[in-house]
Amino acid sequence: MSFFGFDTNLPRDRGHSTNAPGFGHHDAFAGLGGGEDGDAIDFEETYDGLGDQLDETDDAFNDDTFGGPTTQQGVGKDFDFAGETSKIAGTIHEEQMLFQARQPPSQQKPSIPYASKPTRSGYENYNNPDYIPQLEARADIWGLKPKQSAAAAKQPEFEAELQPLPQQSAGAPAKKMMSLEEVEAMMRGQPVQEAPTPMIPQALPQSFGQQPVPYPQQVPHGQPQYPGMPGQFAPHILQRPQQPHLQGHPSRQQPIHAELPAQPVQAQQAQHPTILQRQRQQQPAASQPQRQIPQQAQNQRPPSQPRQILQNPNRLSGHGQPMMQQAHPGPRGSFPGHARGPSFPGMVITHPEQLMALSKEEREAYLEEDAKRAKRNHKIFELSKDNGLMTPQDKNFITRIQLQQLMSATGNLDEKSLEAQIAEDFYYQVFSSIRGAPRQNPHQPANQFAQTYLFQTNSRFGPRRHGRGGDNHMQRMEQQVQRAVEAAKAKPKGKQLVIEGSLGKISFSNSKTPRPLLNLKRPETGDKIKQNKSLVADRKDTLRNIEAVYMTLMHLEDHDRTRPPTITEGSQPEAIQAHMEWRTKTEALRKKLWQDIKIMEPINPQSTTPHPFISILSFAKGKKAIQRIFAHIDEQERITVVTMIVVHLDQLPVVSHAVATQDEPLSASMREEVELFLATVIPPLFAHISESPLNIIIGLLGLVLDRTNMHVVARSKVGMSLLTILISRAELLKQSAPKIDSADWEHWTELYNRLFDVVEPVLPVIFPGNVNDTDDMYVWQFLASMGVGASPEQQQRLVLGVKDRVMETVTVSKALPAEMAGARLANVNLFMRAIGLDVELLG
Amino acid sequence: MDEKDEAHEPLDLVRLCIDEFVVVKLRGDRELKGRLHAYDSHCNLILGEVEESIYVAEEEDEGEAPRVRTVKKQSEMLFVRGDSVVLIAPSEGVKQ
Amino acid sequence: MSTNGESPKEEPKADPRDPSGFLSEIIGNAVTVKLNSGIVYKGALQSVDGYMNIALENCREVADGRVIRNYGDAFVRGNNVTYISADSI
Repeated sequence: MSFFGFDTNLPRDRGHSTNAPGFGHHDAFAGLGGGEDGDAIDFEETYDGLGDQLDETDDAFNDDTFGGPTTQQGVGKDFDFAGETSKIAGTIHEEQMLFQARQPPSQQKPSIPYASKPTRSGYENYNNPDYIPQLEARADIWGLKPKQSAAAAKQPEFEAELQPLPQQSAGAPAKKMMSLEEVEAMMRGQPVQEAPTPMIPQALPQSFGQQPVPYPQQVPHGQPQYPGMPGQFAPHILQRPQQPHLQGHPSRQQPIHAELPAQPVQAQQAQHPTILQRQRQQQPAASQPQRQIPQQAQNQRPPSQPRQILQNPNRLSGHGQPMMQQAHPGPRGSFPGHARGPSFPGMVITHPEQLMALSKEEREAYLEEDAKRAKRNHKIFELSKDNGLMTPQDKNFITRIQLQQLMSATGNLDEKSLEAQIAEDFYYQVFSSIRGAPRQNPHQPANQFAQTYLFQTNSRFGPRRHGRGGDNHMQRMEQQVQRAVEAAKAKPKGKQLVIEGSLGKISFSNSKTPRPLLNLKRPETGDKIKQNKSLVADRKDTLRNIEAVYMTLMHLEDHDRTRPPTITEGSQPEAIQAHMEWRTKTEALRKKLWQDIKIMEPINPQSTTPHPFISILSFAKGKKAIQRIFAHIDEQERITVVTMIVVHLDQLPVVSHAVATQDEPLSASMREEVELFLATVIPPLFAHISESPLNIIIGLLGLVLDRTNMHVVARSKVGMSLLTILISRAELLKQSAPKIDSADWEHWTELYNRLFDVVEPVLPVIFPGNVNDTDDMYVWQFLASMGVGASPEQQQRLVLGVKDRVMETVTVSKALPAEMAGARLANVNLFMRAIGLDVELLG
Repeated sequence: MDEKDEAHEPLDLVRLCIDEFVVVKLRGDRELKGRLHAYDSHCNLILGEVEESIYVAEEEDEGEAPRVRTVKKQSEMLFVRGDSVVLIAPSEGVKQ
Repeated sequence: MSTNGESPKEEPKADPRDPSGFLSEIIGNAVTVKLNSGIVYKGALQSVDGYMNIALENCREVADGRVIRNYGDAFVRGNNVTYISADSI
């Protein structure tokens, strides 16, 4: 006989609860209550028959032990709260205090208790021979969800405050079971008072006070002052169900727990109420502080079950089931294989009331969740029933076949015969080959699937059944390969395949163009670069200008080499056309060159930075460019260049930074710069000046005198050289073309006098080094040119100015080897002879 | 050839250094200073009037920081293979 | 057919989400360039090219956290570069 008179068929034989969601699970209840709802699942049918194995031998004494079902009113208040149990409570309290002392007050989250849950096995109860486990059994037959635990926790909580009186529950055990309607009615009555209960721990247990537990000690109804006591029930109910949570639905718990923040639903909580209860009994006034303890201490609660709970198997039960116990009292704790707690995910709600106690939304959510899960399980089952039919290799093979079919999707459409269609169908081919026999050549590499495939179709089915089809595929394959090869050939032989934004291009590098790593998109404008102007930037601008000049120069020079033959009257029109085009291009390049040298940039006297053209001349390569530039510019432009240089003479580094003294000779690099300037810039200037008319010379000298610092210019080699060029050109003009307008000469003389007056004071320091410095020829040359055009009075002043140097040089020369002495004396003589003297006279 | 496009590429910086003195850091703690005559996109360089500095870390006794000894070599002209080049800078702006 | 939802039409604009876009974005910014040797160069990024060659302005050579050298400009050959990082502005 079944313990509950249940059907002993295993529920799994009946499949899913088709009534869930909804109130299908009530049917179990109903069945217990009398089985009125015959069409719904009957608890009898769903019961797993475990009860049959229970040892019921001593059940007869249950009533003695626990009190009869109807003895609740008679339950005495004489149980030993202050005895054994209070000692335990005291111990636990100590532990709590210890824990509190060790640990900062934890902000307990509802989910935390679950984390600690696993420390409980859930089987502690089975140590108690009286433990009756099946009360919670087979929750899955109702399709109930793990959530029930929370629901269960909640329900008592509501009831605790609102229903301190046990009429209902008291009656419940007397009857065998409430009908579903009754239960519902009861539950409906309660939710009205469902005011959000403060989450005080002891509130929870109270609900169980109404429970029809026959255990004499419990009598909770009459003892609301022991609210903690009943709490032991809640944890028990909850404890089991939570295990499934941990297994499969951890996330679902969250919402419900969130509703009970201060009251974690947890099995261990059973202990706290007990504790509280004790302490209240002993010192009720201290209850307030105590309340917090359980929450804080929960995490550290040892997994051990309070004895009290263990002693009371009924506590597990909810409303309905205790009655069963009473009907069939018997020690069930010994039941061996009660491993369902953890292993049955659905075994959660043992009492429909738990579900009922949920708010409508919660219930709906829960049921929906439940239905979803059932559906999913079913789906998983459906899906998994074919698991393992195909090996990964098979799948791989099919994938390749699919790809191949995509590739050959261009097949003829005129082959409409069934045979041809089958022959076309790779799936069919593969299917039949797999079905028919193992692959003919199992060792064939998978990546040769096409060949494998073709091989099979040809040998197995091809010639015989799909002869043409097999050939067809072979041909197609060949065509495919051919097409692929052709496509690859036809692919533009671009140097690089650029994947936009990728790290690099797929490119074919050679020695001239190594493979770039990045494919960079360049901004259209360099505005960002131009923002931070600085001296460095100026320098770079100049360098850039120089590069541009060289670029244009090279274009020009290159273009010059392509000069077409000179056109004559008899030239072909094409030749003339070509020549015209060439000249146009030349002109354009020249124009560009003229722009590149920046010489027409406006002169800004206030500017702290030199004129861009002058800046170009401050670089060696800029200096070197002048000669080449002169070759491509016309006369007027050359005058402009010369004028520009002359006007900015003292701004040229080779002038302004090239004033040497005896104490501070020029650095090697500066001397190099100066020499470079003299070797690169001065010659074209000289060439130009030496062909310039007097008015140009006058103009240039006037600019030097007016616009430059003569003391700097006259003491630098470059400045002195330029002055020498100007003066000597004027002298030459004077001697070769005396018929020139006398006004010009007067102008010239005036300028010369100005120059002489400016230069005279620096004559003593005009020599850069001491007398042993042999690099003084340019000075003697300058002095000579000055002397030629000087008046006798000026000549005398000249001699006075440099007399010491002349005498020193003569003296030094006497000690020098004849060759060197001759050179030095020759330099001096340049000057001496210009003023009608000779070093010989000094001798 | 718009000069605005000039500095949009790092190698343009090297181009600007043509005919100028540059400092070239090489792998292996070597450094060259010389006039850049030519370069290519591999950073192969031709340098004139070169001074090569080789920094040799000398193992000192324990406890003492390793001293760096500098070996200098002069070369009239050098071809530098680009793959050893780490950095090229105009020697103008180099401040120790 | 783009599965990543990026429209190819947006392309010509440098997308800061890809390396090239990022590098284009930070042109002109102060950057830190670390080389494989461990030496760090800091300066204003003038330009980067496809070889990850880098031109830096006002470049400082930093080793062990100390500036050991200043370069007005510096060209760093790309193969030595470990990373380019934009300094926070």
